Amino acid sequence: MNAQASAAPLIAMEGLGKVYEGASGDVRALAGVGLAIRAGEFVSVVGPSGCGKSTLLRLLAGLEPCEEGRLTLADRPVTGLSADVGVVFQAANLLPWMTVAENVALPLRVGTARRGGDPARIAALLQMAGLGEFAARYPYELSGGMQQRAGICRALARDPAILLMDEPFGALDALTRERMNVELQRIWQQSGKTVLLITHSIAEAIFLADRVVVMSARPGRVLADLPVAIPRPRSFDTIVSHPAYAALAREVRGLLNAEGALE
Amino acid sequence: MNAMPEISPALSAPPAPRRRKAKAVNGSLIAAIGVVVLLAAWDVSVRYLHTPSYILPSPAAVVHALASGLLVSPASPLGYYIPLWSTLRNAALGFMAGAGLGLVLGSLMAESRVVEKLVMPYAFALQSLPKVAIAPLVVIWFGFGDGSKIAIAALLAFFPVLINSFTGLRATEPERIDLMRALSASRFETYRIVKLPSAAPFIFAGLDMAVVYALLGTIVAEFLGAQQGMGVVITQAESVTDVAGVFAALIILGVVGIVLHALVRRIERRVIHWSRRKI
Ligand SMILES: Nc1ncnc2c1ncn2[C@@H]1O[C@H](COP(=O)(O)OP(=O)(O)O)[C@@H](O)[C@H]1O
Ligand SMILES: [Mg+2]
Repeated sequence: MNAQASAAPLIAMEGLGKVYEGASGDVRALAGVGLAIRAGEFVSVVGPSGCGKSTLLRLLAGLEPCEEGRLTLADRPVTGLSADVGVVFQAANLLPWMTVAENVALPLRVGTARRGGDPARIAALLQMAGLGEFAARYPYELSGGMQQRAGICRALARDPAILLMDEPFGALDALTRERMNVELQRIWQQSGKTVLLITHSIAEAIFLADRVVVMSARPGRVLADLPVAIPRPRSFDTIVSHPAYAALAREVRGLLNAEGALE
Repeated sequence: MNAMPEISPALSAPPAPRRRKAKAVNGSLIAAIGVVVLLAAWDVSVRYLHTPSYILPSPAAVVHALASGLLVSPASPLGYYIPLWSTLRNAALGFMAGAGLGLVLGSLMAESRVVEKLVMPYAFALQSLPKVAIAPLVVIWFGFGDGSKIAIAALLAFFPVLINSFTGLRATEPERIDLMRALSASRFETYRIVKLPSAAPFIFAGLDMAVVYALLGTIVAEFLGAQQGMGVVITQAESVTDVAGVFAALIILGVVGIVLHALVRRIERRVIHWSRRKI
């Protein structure tokens, strides 16, 4: 577990629910979600497709209003968007008309937290992500993995305390994905951020997380909250032979199978 | 026949990136062959079917008319240059006014449902009116001077830019808007940084139409009465049944239309440099 992890939860959800009102009737996406995440923790969320994982993340990011239940960040109710939250989107979601450096600097150029480019910080972020030489390139000149790394840099630009990631590596091939996982672990260990990662890969969830949260089929609620007792830094070579890994993977798979929807 | 080499370069696509060169060459080759075939058929039909010159002039007569309009001093009152300049200037002013208004109103409509509901019915009503029928009214309102030419050019250029910018701005990927929202960007920041570039391909498609419509609008207005312009050149030639002269003026306008279109495409490629490969 990370050194920065403390006792009081940074993110707290209680009886959190969400209903989407649609033309063809209402859809209940979440029902009674309870979850507490401490500062510095890395939590993975897995669950059947359409169970409300993205909805949960959008509520945390302030992109959807919280109308049912309680949701607090550092003991304050989430009422809207917070500068202390960085979001990494499913597709890298870079703006194709901006260079990599401009994309990463975007959070510093807009909104109430605007504070001008800060080129040194952007350069340092790109360097950390191994994108130093690609600062002046355009997104279409980058591979999928590099684009997603730039997306992570952008989410880190404001140095938020919380990083929310919605299936960030879903579009990458298996090998690139493992490499990205290793890098994300390193970034997280260096920065001490609190991370909520949504994923549909059980291996990825376990490899990265302090805790794996398993959600039920729609309407989503927390089925299980499983600690990952595997020492860090982890590597894919050693983790598979760790006895806790196989047991945990089996348990998560069993829970998801019981929900009738393993992706 | 010698008119052909002057027309074919304008028909070819603007310089494409190197890897597409082979295709571009074939394109202009096909266009050139088309022109040759057309001219040959024209010449044959005039020569052997004995079509009277007041119905279809011979290619030679048209080339002669073109030469007498082009191979003169730019200041000559008999050449195409003074009327062409007048037409182009009015078309350009009308284009800027119409396209500018279209972009502003299209943006306001895209941003606000209220403005959309307010403006959209009128925009479509205006568009479904036959412009030829409104043109005389515009002349009454704006007079026989440049004003009515610019107004009608603007009227025609307005709609494609309005609809295309509205559609393009509304089509912005929701993920990109979420990104800006998550950064608590202001509405104008989102518009300027994300929506406008996202809509740029749509807007340019509208501008491409608008530039040709503006030229068309100016000519139509000139038909109704003007001191100067290519529309006047055409009506004057018609009044003396100089069909070759009418053809020559129409060819000039056609070439100008192609050049304007190519110009817009070139600017578009400069501005939307990232769309060469989609991410
Ligand atoms: N904006 C929306 N309007 C209506 N229904 C939605 C909307 N967003 C998501 N949903 C529905 O809510 C449910 C949960 O969606 P989501 O949170 O995206 O699931 P997940 O990310 O776990 O796949 C799905 O059934 C989806 O169809
Ligand atoms: Mg999702």
